[in-house]
Amino acid sequence: MIVCVAVVGHQNNPLYLQSFTEADDALKLHHIVHCSLDVVDERVNNPKKSGPTLNETFLGMLYPTENYKVYGYLTNTKVKFLMVTTDLDVKDADVRSFFRRFHAAYVDAVSNPFHVPGKKITSKAFAERVSGIVKSFGPVTTG
Amino acid sequence: MKKPTVLYVRLPPVQRLVEIKAVAEQLHFKTSTLLLHGGKVVEAIAWFNKHIASYRQLVGSTKNSFLHWDWLSRQFLVFAELLETSTVAIPSTLPSHFGTSENPLTEWEVQPAYYYQLAASYLREKRYCLDSSLSMTDSASANTLGKNPESVLPSVFVGQSARLLEQGDTIEVLPLSDAEYINYAITEAQRFQDSYEIIALFKKAYESFNSLKAPRLASHCSTRMAKEYFIAEDFNNAKLHFDGVSSLYRQEGWVTLLWESLGYLRECSRRFGSVKDFIEYSLEMASLPIFSAGEVETPNSKREYGPAGLPTLSRRESVQNEVFGLLRGENILPLTDGGCSLIITEEQPVRVDVDVISPLRMALLACVAFHDQSVKPGSPTMMTLSLLSQLPCPVEVDRLEIEFNQPKCNFIIVNAVKDLSTAQLDMDSQDVRVENAPSLILPTNKWLRLTYEVKSGQSGKLECLSITAKIGKSFMICCQAESPASMEELPFWKFEDQVETFPTKDPGLTYSGLKVIQVEEPEPQVDLILGASSPALVGETFVVPLTIKSNGHEVYSGELKINLVDARGGGLLMSPREAEPFSSGNHHVELLSISGTGVEDESQTQFDNIRKIQQSFGVVSVPVLRVGDSWSCKLEIKWHRPKSVMLYASLGYSPNSTEAASQRVNIHRSLQIEGKIPISISHCFMMPFRREPLLLSKVKSLPGIEQKVSLALNETSVLIVTAQNCSEVPLRVISLSIRSDGDEDSRACSVQHVGGIPADNAPLVPGEEFKGIFSVTSKVDSPNLEVGSVCLVWKRDLKLGDFEDSGVVTEQKLPSVIVEQPPLIVSFDCPPHAILGVPFLFHIRIHNQTNLLQEIKYSLGDCQSFVFSGPHDNAGFVLPKSEYIMSYKIVPLCSGLQQLPQVSITSVRYSAALNPSAAAATIFVYPSEPEFIVGAKKQETILV
Repeated sequence: MIVCVAVVGHQNNPLYLQSFTEADDALKLHHIVHCSLDVVDERVNNPKKSGPTLNETFLGMLYPTENYKVYGYLTNTKVKFLMVTTDLDVKDADVRSFFRRFHAAYVDAVSNPFHVPGKKITSKAFAERVSGIVKSFGPVTTG
Repeated sequence: MKKPTVLYVRLPPVQRLVEIKAVAEQLHFKTSTLLLHGGKVVEAIAWFNKHIASYRQLVGSTKNSFLHWDWLSRQFLVFAELLETSTVAIPSTLPSHFGTSENPLTEWEVQPAYYYQLAASYLREKRYCLDSSLSMTDSASANTLGKNPESVLPSVFVGQSARLLEQGDTIEVLPLSDAEYINYAITEAQRFQDSYEIIALFKKAYESFNSLKAPRLASHCSTRMAKEYFIAEDFNNAKLHFDGVSSLYRQEGWVTLLWESLGYLRECSRRFGSVKDFIEYSLEMASLPIFSAGEVETPNSKREYGPAGLPTLSRRESVQNEVFGLLRGENILPLTDGGCSLIITEEQPVRVDVDVISPLRMALLACVAFHDQSVKPGSPTMMTLSLLSQLPCPVEVDRLEIEFNQPKCNFIIVNAVKDLSTAQLDMDSQDVRVENAPSLILPTNKWLRLTYEVKSGQSGKLECLSITAKIGKSFMICCQAESPASMEELPFWKFEDQVETFPTKDPGLTYSGLKVIQVEEPEPQVDLILGASSPALVGETFVVPLTIKSNGHEVYSGELKINLVDARGGGLLMSPREAEPFSSGNHHVELLSISGTGVEDESQTQFDNIRKIQQSFGVVSVPVLRVGDSWSCKLEIKWHRPKSVMLYASLGYSPNSTEAASQRVNIHRSLQIEGKIPISISHCFMMPFRREPLLLSKVKSLPGIEQKVSLALNETSVLIVTAQNCSEVPLRVISLSIRSDGDEDSRACSVQHVGGIPADNAPLVPGEEFKGIFSVTSKVDSPNLEVGSVCLVWKRDLKLGDFEDSGVVTEQKLPSVIVEQPPLIVSFDCPPHAILGVPFLFHIRIHNQTNLLQEIKYSLGDCQSFVFSGPHDNAGFVLPKSEYIMSYKIVPLCSGLQQLPQVSITSVRYSAALNPSAAAATIFVYPSEPEFIVGAKKQETILV
């Protein structure tokens, strides 16, 4: 289950951060997302280590905490997407497809002529679409 | 094992769990050590993760859960230490990329710091559980504590504990009940200072992450460390660390994280009793962009967010209300668990400074825009002062103090509603202008625009420095004024999707408005007149009269600066090749002196008179002038080369004797003066009339090479010097002479004046030529003989009485000449004139100056005007050092100016032919005998 998704801008500032938990751990998720940015920096700045993922937008798993796993994605415009999940056994393919859909939603949101680039995303349609993507995520347990 | 009497007993559930974990820990420790020693880091980590995954869920009952967290923390600590001791082997064995499906490890998982910080986190969890179980036991009953077993020992079996009973000599080891064991464990746990352990672990992780260039992880550790300091009531350290992390969160715009840190910082300042810090942190918290609606605060959220509470709009409002209550004089009572009471008194006012990088710009932002870019001194200009606050509740300001770099312009805006402060104001500042504003209320995120008039009498820059808002009796917030044109966006708020607002009504002013305005200098009421009559001539001392006349200002401490600048210096119409010789040379135009009327007197009385003249720059002081007075001086400038020059004269003065030097008035004038060559001098050498020496250097001369003039030795040559007036003004030639340069040359060559110099100063109108004639006799055979220089003394043809100059000397060096011995000299001997029909004799004399026999050929051509007797062609020999004469008798047939028959003489030895020039071969034939009036002058004319 995805507990949190975030869009992080060029100055490593949060543009969109939404948690999907009942529990009262928003601050903790903020910290997790913020700390994961270190790994993003590390992977982007040291392409040697990340090797084949150099030209790839998907950054892989960034940061395992005791209860969560954090995955990252970097768009061509250097906007970072982060996703925090509680599933301990996640397939890469699922995460990739999640990010692809999320990216599409993001592109639609920022293509809105009323959106000012660099500002937080406040679109309700985007939020709804994201929560839809989040809900449909996961190993095909239901189907 | 040593005592076979002790038997393994199956323990009660709590202790059994402890035992299982202890055994697992032992096994895990051994496996990990083995794996790490074998360099199998990845396997070791995988093993560790498996180990933790298997046991993490086995918390046990809530009462003794602290045991579990303690154990878990120990697992991480042990593994971190193991990893740290074997780090040497890590880099080589690690796979190259992280986070992929082939390698699920991530970067930090191989770092001990990762495990240290987790160990610390679990230790915190343990402490929390311990505290809650303590409070539970406290509330349950104190009886259980009384039953504390006296001596509990670790049993011989791993993970077991037993009670030691001493009864006389016999020592008995008895099993413990679970309740007893828990009590024992709680007492044991209480003995430990967990905080120090937690801080030490976080510190270790913090330093390690910092060195790994992971600032965010490091700051996360720092935050948790700071919280621990806070719990341990070490507020100094807590503040230090929270301040550190806050700056990162501010920089990256993580509002929620900053909110949490600020909450702690605010609480720290409350504990210190530092009112200023408390206000600053509160204002920053209240102005953060947090809009979430109020949620019910749960105990867990209190634990998570700390003293800041949930980040909600209502919480922001309450923070603001609390701090504004304090500002208005209310007291903030100390908390039940310590801290000081905060209050602001009039004796100790609080002043908060907000500069351009301060986060408090969110609480109050002040920008100032002048409506104009420059203003005349003394005339008013409009200025818009805009204030913005992001605080959630409207802020009412009692008064605003606007400060400029020119203190005379400072003014105060008073909130008309609050007349209390006005009364107070009148007492402390009487000179300052006071404006009234109907209300000074700043709504959230809405500019408060105030437009006022400013008048400055002092020229220069007028800049608004700061705006101080006074709230309550003893609180001031002083904002550095910002220009709307160069204003940075507000931190945090720049990421918010809000409607853009402008600080000024006119959006144009928002993009161009500045907090600085240029106050112009007062109009100079003094005339500076530069009078130059005509173009300057090279060589003369050119005088430019300069007059300073006061029309309305008195002139005090006046200073006149003169500057000469190449008029083409701006790079206009000048090729680089042309520029070079001019720039390389020393000053072609020189400022010789500035002579003022009455300067002599003043220089004696005023020793501090500024008077400095350089080649192209001069400064002189101007005496005090009353209104209507005038002062004049003369600038003497000399041109060494023809050049166009800009003359800049600037006068700086103060109109009042009392005012400071800053209040100076400047007046500038410029004049372009063309420097021209007055006279061009040319010259030519000529042989005597009808006398032709054979000069071998002329015969042999190669074409293309510029040859020097050759003169015959011991022969007299004629030098004609022509001086032409090429200026536009009439000149007078005073004298023209040839000056020999050295003593030796004067003996080698004698130059004598023959004619052409008038008795009085000859006028020379523009374009006219003047000729001087000299005879040159060289006595030394030399290939390089210096004849001397032409010295022409001239002056302007002026009738001015005060311009009695002795004249300007223009000197031009004559080129050197070759002097050589001619082997042959041919001279034609012919009467000055002839009479029609009357025969006359025409001799050609060839003088051989060598010691050789010279063969010559000569011929005389027929012509219509004359008949002659004698051979047409002939040859002959001239004996050494002797003369050969050919005589022809010629009868003129036509009158008028006639060409004599064409003579041609050839020297065989030198292969040189002589054809006399047309002038030499011309004779005037009178139709009949003329009757001359004998006079000396006429004779001379004919001779020449």
